[in-house]
This record gives sequence, C-alpha cells and structure tokens, in this order.
Amino acid sequence: MKASIQLEAADRRTVILLRAAVIWHIVLAIAGLAGGLLVWLRAGDMLLWLRLPLGALLVLTAAASSLTALFVQRGRHSGRVLSLAVNYLGFLFCFLGGMHVLGMFTGIDSLASTFGRGIPYLGGVLAGYLISALGDRYENHPERRQMLKRVGKVVMLAFMATFLLAIGTLSGLLAVVRRFTSFLPCLLVGGGLLFGLMIWALWRRDSAVALGASTAHEQMLNGFLFLSPNLLGFLLFFAGPLLLSLYFSFTNYDATTHVSDWVGLQNYARLFNLTIAPLTTPDQPVTEALDMTVYDELMRFNFFERSFILGAQDKLFWIALRNTIVFCLLAVPLSVIPALFLANLLNSKLPGMKFFRAIYFLPSVAAVVGVALIWQWLYNAAVGYINYSITSAVTTINTLFGSAILDPQIRWLSDTRIALLAVVIMSAWQWIGFDTVLFMAGMQAIPRELYEAATVDGAGRWAQFRRITIPLLGPTTFFVVTTAVINALQLFEQVYVLINTEPPGGPANSTLSLVLYLYVRGFQRFQQGYASAVAWVLFIVIFGVTLLQYRRQRSGAYA
Amino acid sequence: MKSPHRFFALLSKLVTYVVLIGFATIMLFPFIFMFSTSFKTQRDTFRYPPRLLPREQLTATVPGYPEPLPLYYVTVEGQLQEYALVESNIRMGVYTDPDHPDVTYTLPLDEIQPTGGVENQRIVLYNNTQELLWDVPVDGHVVPMVLINQTAFGRFADPASPCDSVLQNVRLSEPVEKLTIHPGNYAEVTELQGLDRSLTNTVLVTILVMVGQLATSIVGGYALARLQFPGREQLFIIYLGTIMIPFVVLVTPLYQFMVLIGWVDKLVSLILPWIFTAYGTFLMRQFFITIPKEIEEAALLDGASHLQILTKIFIPASVPALATLATFTFLYAWNSFFWPLVVINTGNRANHVLTLSLSILRGRAADNVNLVMAGAAIAILPPMIVYILAQRFFVESATSSGLKG
Repeated sequence: MKASIQLEAADRRTVILLRAAVIWHIVLAIAGLAGGLLVWLRAGDMLLWLRLPLGALLVLTAAASSLTALFVQRGRHSGRVLSLAVNYLGFLFCFLGGMHVLGMFTGIDSLASTFGRGIPYLGGVLAGYLISALGDRYENHPERRQMLKRVGKVVMLAFMATFLLAIGTLSGLLAVVRRFTSFLPCLLVGGGLLFGLMIWALWRRDSAVALGASTAHEQMLNGFLFLSPNLLGFLLFFAGPLLLSLYFSFTNYDATTHVSDWVGLQNYARLFNLTIAPLTTPDQPVTEALDMTVYDELMRFNFFERSFILGAQDKLFWIALRNTIVFCLLAVPLSVIPALFLANLLNSKLPGMKFFRAIYFLPSVAAVVGVALIWQWLYNAAVGYINYSITSAVTTINTLFGSAILDPQIRWLSDTRIALLAVVIMSAWQWIGFDTVLFMAGMQAIPRELYEAATVDGAGRWAQFRRITIPLLGPTTFFVVTTAVINALQLFEQVYVLINTEPPGGPANSTLSLVLYLYVRGFQRFQQGYASAVAWVLFIVIFGVTLLQYRRQRSGAYA
Repeated sequence: MKSPHRFFALLSKLVTYVVLIGFATIMLFPFIFMFSTSFKTQRDTFRYPPRLLPREQLTATVPGYPEPLPLYYVTVEGQLQEYALVESNIRMGVYTDPDHPDVTYTLPLDEIQPTGGVENQRIVLYNNTQELLWDVPVDGHVVPMVLINQTAFGRFADPASPCDSVLQNVRLSEPVEKLTIHPGNYAEVTELQGLDRSLTNTVLVTILVMVGQLATSIVGGYALARLQFPGREQLFIIYLGTIMIPFVVLVTPLYQFMVLIGWVDKLVSLILPWIFTAYGTFLMRQFFITIPKEIEEAALLDGASHLQILTKIFIPASVPALATLATFTFLYAWNSFFWPLVVINTGNRANHVLTLSLSILRGRAADNVNLVMAGAAIAILPPMIVYILAQRFFVESATSSGLKG
C-alpha cells in the first residue's frame, strides 16, 4: 500500500488537514443530497427547467463529495483533484453569489452614473503614461530617464486615485459593507471562506506529496484552472442556454403567464403546417376554400390550368422565411461580386491602394443602427439624395437624348415592393468593404509567379483574372459567400431601424425577416417557447450552410 | 511599337483609378452626408434640391421691428439688393386686361377698387364667363381688368431705410445665405435623448467586455495550447463547433436567465454574458501554439509558474493577436444592438447604450434630421477614430474571422 505509507510519512499537520477534508466532504455530501431532495420534493411550483438542473447539480455535488471523501481517505490523488474541483466550484459559487447579493454586479449601473465625472482624470492617467513613455527616448541619459519614469508613475497613480474617488468608489464600497448586516451575505462569505480553506488544505505542497502528485497531475490541475473561467462562463452563458432553448422549443412557454408545458413537436408542426386546396375560380373567396380556423391564405397559383390556393397555419413565418431568402439571394451577390472586382483592382501594385482599402472598410466599422439612420434619410422620397440623383439623371438623359423617361419617384421605405430592396442595398453597401478585405487576403496567397508567367505568355489582365485569380481564389470565395449567407440569414437590425414600423417588418410585412419574427413572438408577445422553435429552425438552416462549408474544407478545398 | 502599349497601360491605370474613386465616393458619401447634416439647421435639411454644405439664412435688424428679420435677394430698379422680409401673407390679386390677356399685373387685393363702385360693379364676358371688373392703376392710368388668380406676397424692406419696400413672392425669393455650422445640434441631441449617459454606458460596457474577454481568452487559450489535461482535444473541438452558432438561438433562455437573477435592465447583463467566448479562446489558442516551446521550457526549469510564463513570455509575445481580438471585441460590444434591445427596458433611459438610444431617437426626432445625424455621428465617430488609428488590427480581425469557419 504505497498511498498509506506516504500518508504515514506525512507530517501531523497534513494528516489533520486531510482528515478535515474527508469530514468536510462527508458533510457536503449529506448537505447536497438533502438539498437535492428538498428541491425535488418541495419546490413543486418551480419551473421544471429550473428545478431539474438545480436538483441535478446538488445531487452531483453530493456524489462527487462522497467519492472525494472515499478517495482522500484511501490516499489516492484523484481524490485531491475531485476535492479541489468541488471546493473550487463551491468557492466560486459563494464568491460570485456573495458579489451578487452585495449588489456588486448591479452596482455597475451606479458606476455608470458617476463614471462620466471621472473621465477627465483618466486623461491625467494617460498623460502620466505618456510622460513615463517619454522616458524611453532618453536612453543615453539614465538619470533623466529614471526621473521621467518616476514622475510619470506618480502622476498616473495620483490621477488614478482621484479618478477612483471621483467616480464614488468609496461610497460604493461603504454601501456594500452596509449590506453585510443581513444573513445571506454572511452565509455566503462564511461558506466561501470554508471552501477557500479546503482549497488551500489540498493545494499545499505537503498535501500534494502526501497524495502522490506528479508533474503531470500539477499540469492537469493548472490546465483546468486556467480554462475554468472561460469554460464555466461558456457553460453558463452558452451551452446551458443552447440546451434550454432546444427544450423551450418543445414547450408552450409563455413569459407573461409563466406557463411552461411540454407540447412535443407542436410548435414545429404549427410552423410548417401547409395545405393546398383547389379553387373553382381563381378569385374564389378564401373562406370557401380553406378552413379559416386553422389556415391563412399564403398565395394562389395556377398549375396545369387549374387554380390552387396555398394556406399556412402560421402565415407570417412563411412570409418571413421568403423575405429572408430573397434578401439573402439579393444581398449576397450584390456585396460579394463588387467586392471580388474591387479586391482585384486593389491587388494591383499601384500607389494609393492602401488608402482605398481603408475607405472601403470604413462602413464595416460603423454601427448598423447609425448606418440605418443615415440611409433612412438618403432614401427619403421627397428630399433624399438617392431620389434626387435619380431625378437629375433622368432629367439629364431626357434633355440629352430628347427621350421622355418618367421620373420614378420611388418611395423606398414605404412601397411594399421596394422596401426589402432598400434594405438589400444598404446591407450590401455595408458588407462590400469587409468582403473586399477577405478577398484581398486570399489573393495575396496566390503565388505571383503564376501572373508573371501568364504575362510572359501574353495574357491580359482580364484573362489573368478569369484563368488564375478566380479558380485559385475558390476557397476564399466559398468562405466569403458562406459567411455572407450566414450573416444575411440573421437579418434583423437593418430592418428594425431602417424601416421602423409597428409592428416591425412593414410595410405590410414586406420586410419581415425570420429574426424579426422571432423578436416579435418572443419579446413583444412573449411566446418564448414558440420563438425558440423559430430560432431552432433558423439554426438548422445556418447549420446546414456551415456543414456544407465544413465538408468543402474536409474535401481539401481549403488546402 | 512601344507607345500604343504604353498608352493602354496608362488607360487601364486611369480606368482603375476612376472605378476606385467612384466606389470610394459611394462608400464615403453617407458619412459625409451624416457629418454635414449634423451641422445644419432644421430648415436647411428640408430644402430641395438637397445641398451638402450647411447654410444658414442671414438676418438683419430693421428699425421698428423688435426681432431680427430674414434677408432675401430682391431686384430693385434692375439691381440685386439684400432686403429683409418685414411682412408676409399679403394677399395679392393677379389681374389682366380682357383685351390683352397675355399681360398680367399682380397687386395687393385691398388697394384695388371695383370699377363703377361697389354697388353696381361692371361686368365683362371673359373666357365665356361673366367676370367682375376692377380698376387697376397701370403707369398712372386706371384700366378695368378682371381678377384671374390670387396669391400671397411678402413685403421686403431695405434694412437701412425701411420705407423702401418691395412686394415679392416669398417662396420664389432666394434667401441670402452664408455657410455656417451648427455644432449646437450635438448638445441639443445629447440633451434630448440623454446621449451623454448612453455614451458613458457604452464606453463602460465596451471597456469591461474587452478586458474580461481578453482575460478569459488568454488564460483559456493558454490552457488549450500548452497544458495537458484529459479532455483537452474534445473541449477544443466543442469550442470550435460552437463558434458558428447564431446568437438568436440563445436569446430566449439567456433572457430568462437574466430575469431569474434579476439582471434584466441592468448594465451587467450587457457585460458578463459576453466575456466568455469560444471565438476569443480559439483565436488566442491558435496564436499561442505558434510560440516556440523552448523559451517556456527553460523558464519552467527555472521554477517559473504557468501564470508567470503566461504574463512574462506569452502575453508580450502576442501583442498583435491581442490587439486583433481587442478590436474585434470593441466593435462587437460597441455596435451590438439586438441583445440590449431585448434586455434593457425602453423606459429606463439611464441604462440605454448608444445604439438603443439612437433607435429610439429615430422615432422621437423624426423631423429633426440634423439631430438624428448628430446622434448617429456620436455613435459612429469613436469606432471610426479607433479604426483610423489602428487600421491594421481591424483588417486583421476581419481576415482572422476567416478562421471562424
């Protein structure tokens, strides 16, 4: 029994600490089990999606704790790993819970209200940094350099202190301390201290040696420790919500009434429920052809000289799906094709190309909301620049050629046939620069010798573009197109701000996109179960596009 | 033989530049429009045809009038003069002699007397209808004419001697203008929509998201790149696989989560969920694996801890990658709209971020384009300045998103 020998060899203190850890974990296991049972039996009014993970977590803690107690007792190193994990999580829970209860997270709001006052002092901090950075210029004058560095440091610290005072850190801390009078913060802090103590007890070198730790073990612990902030946050804010969203999509979850019943595939069935009915005459009223309690008219069409009507249970979903696909089919080519040509032009080694690239990229930097506000006025039917340019162009052509072209006077944002096109043009304008940069990166990877050889053979620029650039740029093109499609499928902000109708997606639902529909369902009507189903449909579409790309990548297109 | 070749080369260069400049204009124009409109007066924004540069009508104080009055160009005795509009809405009649219908005279209605007196005003047949006749003074004579139209004129007076006045159509008169800028729009929109607070919120949220995401990505990336632990490869694959998952799938549960812990309507809900990203971790991991192992092995032999190696060797060596990730995060946090829209209540103005304030401003100040553009400029300018200063990292973050697939 190698392990027990090591335990004997360990000093008294380590033995006591390890014994304490075993007892601690037994207590923890009992508490966890009791808590789990309590949650399961007593908290009947708690929503299932909340009760299940909470109960599972408590039972899991209990199980891990009892295993830990067993392993540590036997002197196995896995006991140490488990114990550290359990205590670390417990410590984090108490620490973050304590911060939450003490109002330190929500305190950011009050920080924001005072932060403005401190901004001038931040300028002082920057000045201090600049002074110390100036010191590096005097490499030949060590004394001057030293002095500047010191002065810079003092200035920085002084301004930092003033900044912290100005934004009210002191009063904030006082407010936090005052909350300690209640029970919950004290409990959490006490628990955190206990968990922290246990972490120390097992992390210390003597305990590690006593339980037979190796360098590989240490590296493993370090690995988990380093990854833990990201991994835990990822589980909490990404993986957890992802699974919950799938669960929600199978419920009729309503956030106003907090009703959440399992309805199976009902949401999806409703989304995809379509029907076709024959019509006696093409303009037969819809009430005669369709069961209006279930279906709405989606469209009418003729097939082999017979008229049919297509009805859908959720008409808006189909309209949103159609709009999204139309948007995708228009906006993607409109941004990708000009980007390809621009990238080709920019790739020629003429002077000033960096300048142009910088300008083209500019729209990608701006917030979609701001861009939409600008375009809303460019699109203005009466005084907007776009209609003004069209009018000027029409007048010029008419006077030059004596033609009589009518000025279209397009009502960009209120015409049901045009509004989506307005969104397309604006989006394409914003995406072109981004795609251009991606294409340029791809083009720079093409060996220059190919072009040189082609020039020797007498190929012109167009031929080179057709025969060399396009084929060798295949992987980049494919990537750019997929990214653009995925972005386009998530159309939301552009419509929400540019068109800005109530309900969103107007006029007459002509710009309603899938994400917009999700927003309306989930956050205006609060039918979050149904909204989750819409989200998952979108997700599956996007996943399909991604998968397509992934398979291309696998088949070597990216080599 | 060489000159035609040279000529075509020059021509192709010329065409290239023309196309590039054309596109550059299209790319820049909306921003130029935004800035110029943000300095205009509201009146100026509704002018047609639209003009790019902000202009303002000049005014002059005229003796006898308390307020300064707007100036217009007026032709007096063949000379262009700058006169002030002292009175508007003077009702005018357009008269014509039934015998010479091609000449019209426009005179104030109340200065004209009916021909033959009010009691038995004379009537004439004009365009097959019976029309009343009026005594219109023309060059000292009085000519009976018919009233064919009515309009409204303004009285324009010389600011120096207000007695010299001219009647003229206000709408057709050209105002006397000068180029001006109205930086006051920025203060006004800030006041109107509380943009100062929104800007502070956005700055605070962006800084905290950037710092938080860099911190978790660095340590996570280091663990995935350098530390051996069971399940590392599987975790990496899972991270990689989740990068493409759209945010909209998470939005309802994340919102419910925020409701549960009472973070709805709080700024922290815009920060904490965004600092743990698979993308950032992946990016840092990809960069860290390119750093040669020898340096770190030597440091490990000298007894350095992994934290020391990370801060002393890895972070200084990966400044470009960090800057790239920072720019990416900066843009994302600064410009994000969907999540703030969902999680921050419209009523609580104190916690609005810029994008949210702007979308509300759009409805509130629908007629004040100048104010809306000033608001848009406040939101767009900071990323633009950062972009101009650190262009390289923006471009890099765009191309590194190529790894996202």
